[in-house]
Amino acid sequence: MAKPLLSVRNLAKRYGGVVALENMNLSAQPGTIHAVVGENGAGKSTLMKILAGVVRPDGGTIEIDGQAVTIASPNEARLRGIGMVYQELSLFPDRSVLANLFVNREPVRHGLVSLSSMERQCERLLDQLGLHVDVRAPVSRLSIGERQLVELCRVLLEKPRLLILDEPNSALNQQETERLFAVLHGLRRQGITMLYVSHRLEEVFSISDRITITRNGRDVATKERAALTIPEVIEGMIGRQREALFPPPLPAKVDASPRELVVSGLAGGRLRQIDFKAHSGEVVGFAGLEGSGVTDILNILFGLRRARRGTARFPDGRGLPKSTTEASRRKVCLVPADRRHNGLMLDKSILFNISNIVVGARNDGPLWFSPKGALQRATRQIEALRIKGLPHALANSLSGGNQQKVVIGKWLEIGPQVFLLDDPTRGVDVGAKREIYGLIRKIAADGGIVLFSSTELPELIGLCDRILVIYQGRLAGEVAGDGMDSRAILHLLNTGERSGRSPGPDAYEATVA
Amino acid sequence: MPDEIGVIVALLVMMAVIGIARPRFLNPINLLSLLGNTTFLGMLALGMVFLLAIREIDLSVGWMFNFSAVVVALLMVAGLDPWLAAIAGVAFGGCLGLVNGLIAVTLRLPAIIVTLGTYSMFQGLSLVVNRGRAIVPSDDGSSFFWVISYKLFGVLPVSALVFLLLAVAMHILLHRTRFGYRVQAVGSNPEAAAHAGIPTALVRLQTLVLMGAICGLSGTMYVGFRGAIDPNEGSDFVLVVIAAVIIGGTPLSGGHGTIIGAVIGMTIIQVISSGLIFFGIDATWSTFFTGAVTVLAVSLDRLIKYQRSRRAEKLRETSHG
Repeated sequence: MAKPLLSVRNLAKRYGGVVALENMNLSAQPGTIHAVVGENGAGKSTLMKILAGVVRPDGGTIEIDGQAVTIASPNEARLRGIGMVYQELSLFPDRSVLANLFVNREPVRHGLVSLSSMERQCERLLDQLGLHVDVRAPVSRLSIGERQLVELCRVLLEKPRLLILDEPNSALNQQETERLFAVLHGLRRQGITMLYVSHRLEEVFSISDRITITRNGRDVATKERAALTIPEVIEGMIGRQREALFPPPLPAKVDASPRELVVSGLAGGRLRQIDFKAHSGEVVGFAGLEGSGVTDILNILFGLRRARRGTARFPDGRGLPKSTTEASRRKVCLVPADRRHNGLMLDKSILFNISNIVVGARNDGPLWFSPKGALQRATRQIEALRIKGLPHALANSLSGGNQQKVVIGKWLEIGPQVFLLDDPTRGVDVGAKREIYGLIRKIAADGGIVLFSSTELPELIGLCDRILVIYQGRLAGEVAGDGMDSRAILHLLNTGERSGRSPGPDAYEATVA
Repeated sequence: MPDEIGVIVALLVMMAVIGIARPRFLNPINLLSLLGNTTFLGMLALGMVFLLAIREIDLSVGWMFNFSAVVVALLMVAGLDPWLAAIAGVAFGGCLGLVNGLIAVTLRLPAIIVTLGTYSMFQGLSLVVNRGRAIVPSDDGSSFFWVISYKLFGVLPVSALVFLLLAVAMHILLHRTRFGYRVQAVGSNPEAAAHAGIPTALVRLQTLVLMGAICGLSGTMYVGFRGAIDPNEGSDFVLVVIAAVIIGGTPLSGGHGTIIGAVIGMTIIQVISSGLIFFGIDATWSTFFTGAVTVLAVSLDRLIKYQRSRRAEKLRETSHG
């Protein structure tokens, strides 16, 4: 085998108490497409950020062409021939395509920025990428897919030897993805090495030459694509740890009278047609790729977003809430996915945050805000949820897990009937995850209706009684009991159809090509 | 109230320095007249604390003050009982605030943008109504003027007392009521407030109406105290009011507010301008010094916050490591 272009050994990185990389190893051969797969939190993104010079590692070595290097800044990464296409777009929407392509290195003629030489320089590349747009128009006029290609083009203009793509097609439709893959194959022919990060396995199998599987900050295995099957990869990604992490369902309380939430014909946002029922006592999982509309379901049920069509009947016998205020007063609660922006007042104390609903949203009770009452509420939730922090500690000073417990705790103060949990364990360490799972189980046993969305499959399978899979705004299918199998769900997630037969990589490639 | 210690100390030091150099400054009569001068602007500062706490700014306060005062004075000239006119004045201020609030909430615009427009609208309407002349109601036959300009124990003006009582009420409103809690919650993180079901639009509307009503009250008291309203009175209020609130320690980033700080901040501004006179420095310098103290206050505030956040970060690292 040829000498590797890039080789990473024993890479480690911690953020506070969260271990992002424990012992990561990777070596990429020149002129290949090397996929890195793993669940959320496996460390893929951190590894790529280190290679791009955005994040500094705590330990380990990086070699390029056999020489040990440090990559202290994005600029240094660029000088060493590493280019990165980010998962989130980093374009300036109000500036032109050209301005974005040549940002910070605009060609100059007679002391002025020369648009015409910009156009000449990128003409061929844009043509290759199949991007036929007005390069002088602002980027905001382009579709998301076109923007992704602009981003790629910008990186390619720097002529990288190693191109890192972090979930490059998460916003692309089928056709745009095909075009992107064709471009990547072309780049490989030109000898460019690519690291392709994704958790969409079918696509990984259709594009890559070699695959590295990661889990919990380590590399589990690296093999030729031909030597791997999708189930093997899933096995490697998930590992065997489910039993310990997820508590068993608790027996339902006897006195809890059954209640239900009925949703029919719901449309709005990305949703086209959603029907389902959820009963008290069960945890209903929602799975969907980014942009599938899962968040829209929860937001509409919480009154954050208006439904275009469709109805819902809540346990209190009424329909969809018209505002978040109405939802909270009707004991419907939402734990938002973006905790720091939507869940917490970071510069306020635990005490203040825990009173959010009782004092802030509800209108019954006294007009006064009693610090003593607030302290009682805070102390109660700190004890019940084992939040590590004093009532007067600022929310910002807490770890991710404790912050999430504060968000859940503030809702528990009003005893909600419907719990909408949008990826509640994102960025939470394993210990706190286990506690949150236990808590969700308890909420269900106490007679709560729990809708639980997650981007992590093992979590959905381990915790939920049944899982509804959403694909492009519609309900693709429901799995429960023994049917909750990673492979079946992954297939539903990616294709929106139930797998009659095992979909080999070739079958997928055939549909793409 | 450990947060206000800093400004209180600053005020005392400032007074001590002036007092040692010019002992006449500490004469109770002088100090009380100083307090009397802070009244009308000070009231506006109390309302402005709520606006900064909810992460908004109202630029139109000076003209809401002026317009309300003009309307009160005209009602008195027209023969309405001064007490009824006073009540109408407060209500009128509240209505001006309601205009600001309804525009801001229905169009989902920041109040600073809306009030940039209504600043001129209120000024213009006030000018139309007063025809560019001072309005001087006759003060015979009513207890209103007598009460407002009465000095308790011969020294403390009633208007100053009203200001202090209002400050106490506003302090309680901000820290001990549902409304005050909501103001702080929305200002701290509007998105999180909406996600918690807090009626954010209603709270913003209420805050702007409160600001207007306070302007109305201040304008009414001004007419009672001075017996007239000049067409330009209030034109330079807004920046002084915001400066006082910031000097007092209310951050522009929202979520927090201190009424005590605002009272102290306004007093500091008055001490500066009155101290300058005692030192024989031209009074035209006072605007410059007010600005300089504002810059100093925000710099100190920034420095303290920076150190606090560094300490918090260290704490977090050690507790998780």
